[in-house]
Parts: sequence; structure tokens; C-alpha cells
Amino acid sequence: MALLEIQHLTKQWKAGKLALDDVGFSVQAGEIVGLLGHNGAGKSTVMGIMLGMVHPDKGQVNIGGYSVQTQRAAALRQIGAIYEAAAFYDYLTGWQNLKALCSLSGYWDEAEARRIVKLVQLHDRIDAKTGTYSHGMRQRLALAQALLPQPKCLLLDEPTDGLDPEGITEFREFILRLRDEFGMTILLNSHLLGEVEQMCDRCVILREGKKVYEGIVPGRGENKVRFQLTSPDLQEGRVVCARLELKMDREGIVELPPPMEGHTVLRALVEGNVRVESWQPHKQSLEELYLGLRRR
Amino acid sequence: MFLFFQQWRAECLKLLARKRTYLGFGAFFALEAAVLALVHIKGATHFKTLITRQGQVFDEYYSAPTLALILLMASVFLLGGIYMTLVSGDIVAKENEDGHMRMLLARPISRFRLLLVKYLTCVAYTVLLVQFIAWSAFLMGLAVTGWGGGFFAFVPELGIAAFYDWQTGMGKYIAASISLSLSMITVTSIGFMLSCMPIKPAAATIGALSYMLIDFILRNMGFMEDYKHLLFTHHMQAAGRVLAEEPAWPVIIRSFSVLGAMNLTFFLIGFGIFDSRDLKS
Repeated sequence: MALLEIQHLTKQWKAGKLALDDVGFSVQAGEIVGLLGHNGAGKSTVMGIMLGMVHPDKGQVNIGGYSVQTQRAAALRQIGAIYEAAAFYDYLTGWQNLKALCSLSGYWDEAEARRIVKLVQLHDRIDAKTGTYSHGMRQRLALAQALLPQPKCLLLDEPTDGLDPEGITEFREFILRLRDEFGMTILLNSHLLGEVEQMCDRCVILREGKKVYEGIVPGRGENKVRFQLTSPDLQEGRVVCARLELKMDREGIVELPPPMEGHTVLRALVEGNVRVESWQPHKQSLEELYLGLRRR
Repeated sequence: MFLFFQQWRAECLKLLARKRTYLGFGAFFALEAAVLALVHIKGATHFKTLITRQGQVFDEYYSAPTLALILLMASVFLLGGIYMTLVSGDIVAKENEDGHMRMLLARPISRFRLLLVKYLTCVAYTVLLVQFIAWSAFLMGLAVTGWGGGFFAFVPELGIAAFYDWQTGMGKYIAASISLSLSMITVTSIGFMLSCMPIKPAAATIGALSYMLIDFILRNMGFMEDYKHLLFTHHMQAAGRVLAEEPAWPVIIRSFSVLGAMNLTFFLIGFGIFDSRDLKS
């Protein structure tokens, strides 16, 4: 069942630039989905619309069956979010910040709050003013506040921005734990391909406000078989592949439909007088997919 | 309802945790202390002339409420207005500028409710500040003149110069301080409305102060005589009218109704603007 449904989002800023152009995708319960794109692709605008902070020109977002545009409070009760940079009241302690934010949700369970603070490893500094926190500690506090309404789903907008490598690793492990132990659904907005590749089951790629890809993160539970041909006769290879109703890209990569096997194509290539230097299974990386989409 | 009070309480606590919230309290305390010290050192010849000219005994009416009222009426509008617009001009615009608004609105709370909570917090601050001024001035007056005596209510721009015994005088003083608190809410409402606009917090504060002062200047210009009912500072004078021996209640009620309607209008305009905004850096 889709917990998040993003339907036909279109948004034009005042300057006339189309920030989103009919963007739609869905996130199933228990999934970690990455929202990828270059700076200005429209990722944060999608997040803003999902939280009701940005008004779409067209389209809507449903969270757990509630429309953010018409039933905002009911929809947002299902989620916890970190949207853009975490901004706390520096003159309050971490604990007071959590309490102030939770009061807006009408939710405050002291024991649960203590548990979450421990979970994000902030228990020894929670009574210090947030003005004294490092960037990593602020991110952990942001995560704690997002987790405090006991949400079904987390929306994380570039959550590892500014964290050091140890911080990023810790954060990644924590997010995976949330999904594995608590079955949480997570939508992660990022421009870091490595982060999405390591954490997400599926990804949605935006380019200049348009969705250009929605599917499995390459290499994750994918059952597509791809082979790569290295040859000085790539053009001839393409002709041979076309005869087999296969499409070879510029890099010599061919996707084989089941039940076709690699040796069948290799035989056809050799019989077609293509000089084969190598013919081997190819695992596509997210970076290749992303850059491939960019070249289109 | 309980949730609303919980949210309002959290907003008030946030406001009270900020050091700049106390700027107004500190400034008034310093002003009151300075004025009373001067009165004490230099003598109260001005009061003496005013009171004795009316055929009254100076020692009887040179009392804590008399001194406190003079301080209250002289300082609340101009100096108080600065701090009220500082707080109300910040309450939305500063939170938006600092990114707090995005954290708050990522929660299941409507923009209307969030703004209402913030507006009521500004209202509470306004009432608290005026009451602080009223009662700290009274306590300082007590320190100078001691307990007891009469109350000389003097508001020259309304032509009020009335003498009351201690008990009636205290009732009038309390009524004036409450009326003044209520009338100052309009200054706060202007600051709040501007704070909801996509402008810097300082611009909201300066804008509100400018509105207040322009209105005040126009009120004091002769050619605005026929239009003064359009000026909110004219209606704010209702606060002083309760000090008259026989207050003109219809005028007072009309003025407070106008101020109440203006407050509602400023709040709704602020909400309308804020609700239509996209909150994204």
C-alpha cells in the first residue's frame, strides 16, 4: 500500500521558472526511497509541498490517505520531517526545544522522549543550550524531534549535509536501523549518489523539475541482466543486436530480456563478424544511471 | 482546547526565555527610577502648582497612584510602543528568517492556529508589559510618598483633572491600567500584521512604529479634526477617559469596539498574507 502518493505536482515560481512539471511518484510502506537530482532540480520543492509549506499550482500529495492540501493536520500526523537546515532556538536547551516542538503536535511522552534522545545518542548533552551544539548534534536533535510524534514515515531533506564522514556513517546506520527494526518508511532527499545507493531501495530522479526516473536503485534486488561488449566494431555489434531485437547503448551495454542468455548473443556477435574483445556481465551503478539520464 | 493552551504556553515560554523580551521591562524600570529620583531630589513644585490651583491640599494628593499615573501616561505610548512593535515585529518574521518556521510547520498544526498562538502571545506580552509599568511605577511611588492619600487624575489632552479618595482612586487607577493595556494591543497588532509579510523583522518593527507615529502626528494636526475617528491613536485615548469622574461610556465602548475591529482586521490581513506564502529558503 502506498503511504505517500505524490500526484501531478506542478509549481511555477514568480520568476517564471517551472520548478516542477507534472511530477508524480509513490512510496510504499516500509520502503526507503531516495529523491535525487541536481541543485535546483525541484527536490526541496517536492518536500515543501509534501509538508504543506509550498502551495502547488497543480496536483496534490496524499499521506496515509489524507491530502496535505486539504487535510494538512491529519496528513502530517503520519510523518516526522527534517526540512532544509535544522533551526533550533539557541537560547533553549535541546530538551526545551523538543518539548516546544512536540507541543505543536499535541504529543509529549517524557519516557518516550528520553528513549528517543538516547537512541540518537544525545542524552548527555540534552540539557545544554542548542547554541552550544555542533552541526552533527543539531542534526541528531532534528532527527529526535522528527521521531517524536512516533511517525509512520520520515521525510529527510538532505539530512547529512555538513556532517563529517563519521557522522554520515552513523546517520546511515541509524536510518537503516529505523527501517529494519521499526519498519519505518523513509523518503530521503539527497544529491549524494553514494548515500542513496547505500540506503535506498528505490529512487526517483528529478531533472529540471521533471521526473526522469522512478525505479529500483541499480544493483538492489534487480533481476535485469546486462552485458557489456568491448569491441572496435560497436556499430556492427549494434546491428547484430537489433536483429535479435536488443538495444545496445553507446557504451556497448545490452539489456537481455529473460530467458535470453549471454552466450546466445555472443554467438550471434561472433557469427556476425564482430571482433569481440570482451563480453561480460555488467552491473549498472547509480552514478551511471544518473549520468546516463543526464546525457539524454 | 487543552492542546491550544499547551501550544500557547509553549509559545509564551519561548518568548520569556529570550533576553530581548526583557529589554522593555528594564528600560521602563530605569525610566521610572530616574523620574522618581528627579522628583524626589528636585521637589514636586510642578505638581504642587497643579494641585493647589484646583483648590486641593497638595500633601493629600501627592501620592503613589498620582505619581504612577503621570509616569504611565507619559511613557507607555511612545516607549512602550517601541518594545511592543519589537516583539510583535519579530514574532513571525524573525522565526521565518531564522528557519524556525519551517521546523514548526513540519508539525501537524495549521497556519491559522500557529499564528493565533503567536498573536495571543504578543497580546499577553503587551498586557504584561503595561501592567508591569503600572505596578512598578506604583511601587516606586509608594517608596517616595508612602501608603495612603488621594488620587489626582490628570490627563490634559482629554481635559480631565479629577480628585478621588484612596479607594476610589485605586479603582480608577486599576481601570486605567487595564484600559491602557487593551488599547496598546492595536500597536502590537500592527507589528504582527507586518511581521506576517515577506519582509525582514526590523522592517516590520520600523513599519509598525512609523504607522503609529504617523497616526499620532496626524491626530495632533488641526486639519484632521473631522477625520480623527479614522485614527487609531484617537480611539486609544479611551484608556484615559475612564479616569473622568463621569466617564463617557458610549464613547469609550465605541472606541474599544473600533480598536477591537482593527485588531481583528490586522490579524486577518496578516494571516491572509502568511497563508498565501510559500515557505522555502
